[in-house]
Amino acid sequence: MIDVYIEQWRAWAPGLDSEDAWHDWSNAPQSLADNGEQPGCDFVAAMQRRRLSRLARMTLGVAWPLCGEQEQLPLVFASRHGESPRTYALLTDLVDEQPLSPTQFGLSVHNAVAGQWSMLRGQRGESVAIAGEADTFEHAMLEAAALLAEGAPAVIVVIAEERPAEAYQPWIHDVPFSYAVALRVTATPSTPTAQHWQLRLARSTGEADSSSAWPHALNFLRALHQRSASLQHRWKTRQWIWQRLR
Amino acid sequence: MNGLTHTPLELEITQLIIDTLNLEDVAAVDVPAGQPLFGSGLGLDSVDALELALALQKRYAIRIASDSKDARQHFSTVTSLAAFVDAQRTLCAA
Repeated sequence: MIDVYIEQWRAWAPGLDSEDAWHDWSNAPQSLADNGEQPGCDFVAAMQRRRLSRLARMTLGVAWPLCGEQEQLPLVFASRHGESPRTYALLTDLVDEQPLSPTQFGLSVHNAVAGQWSMLRGQRGESVAIAGEADTFEHAMLEAAALLAEGAPAVIVVIAEERPAEAYQPWIHDVPFSYAVALRVTATPSTPTAQHWQLRLARSTGEADSSSAWPHALNFLRALHQRSASLQHRWKTRQWIWQRLR
Repeated sequence: MNGLTHTPLELEITQLIIDTLNLEDVAAVDVPAGQPLFGSGLGLDSVDALELALALQKRYAIRIASDSKDARQHFSTVTSLAAFVDAQRTLCAA
């Protein structure tokens, strides 16, 4: 059983970058046109910003306001598909027998965004970069709970998915549009508005849940906005049961 | 004329630097050809040097030996890069 407080959250998707916009989306969710928009990240100096990919900008855009200037907090960066546009571009260069861009190659690891966060924010503590299946979100929360159990005062959890490179789209069904969700998670509440959630894992014998119209992180975001009492996600043999206590 | 006169090759290389290294809000004509590219000048770093070497090799069909002890000098300003590219093109064409 995981028991956490969600103190603050931020989210970004093409055209949705305010609390109000997400509130409206939560009430009437719909797919969004993804034309490659990305957060401006003006809080990062231009010389540093130029190395930020779209996924990095999405991640930093949502995580930045959740960590205070003086705080050192662990980060859980979770993305099932990572930066497939970058991977595809590198593979294309290889096929064409072109030399690889040192910058692109250097950033082509799953924890690159976590590393950029660490450098730009002067975060010297732990960070975890994970990729799971369609329930990557729940596994990210499991990581956060583990970090809290080890004594972290709070954990920043980011789930970020980018619309995949065209060539991969026939195989990727759980990224209707690019999105990033950041949560500030604690073991004990330090704000009166923190939502208290429990997460339980049960064994599911049913088929993978295809009725889950939106990625888990976005479903959870809806539950936060609507103050839902519970939420269930099923993936293969895993039944994730969310319950809100406060 | 604003004192920032570039030769056509210098202007071309400056634009290549801007495009390759994703320098936002920088115009080629505003980068003095004699300004240091690395450190205190334009502020490029070692990864930029690798990226720039690759772009120059692609664009001008020249070869840049990675262990060349002169590389640091060649890459110091746009002017020195232009002179280097000119010399290499003459060599490669010969």
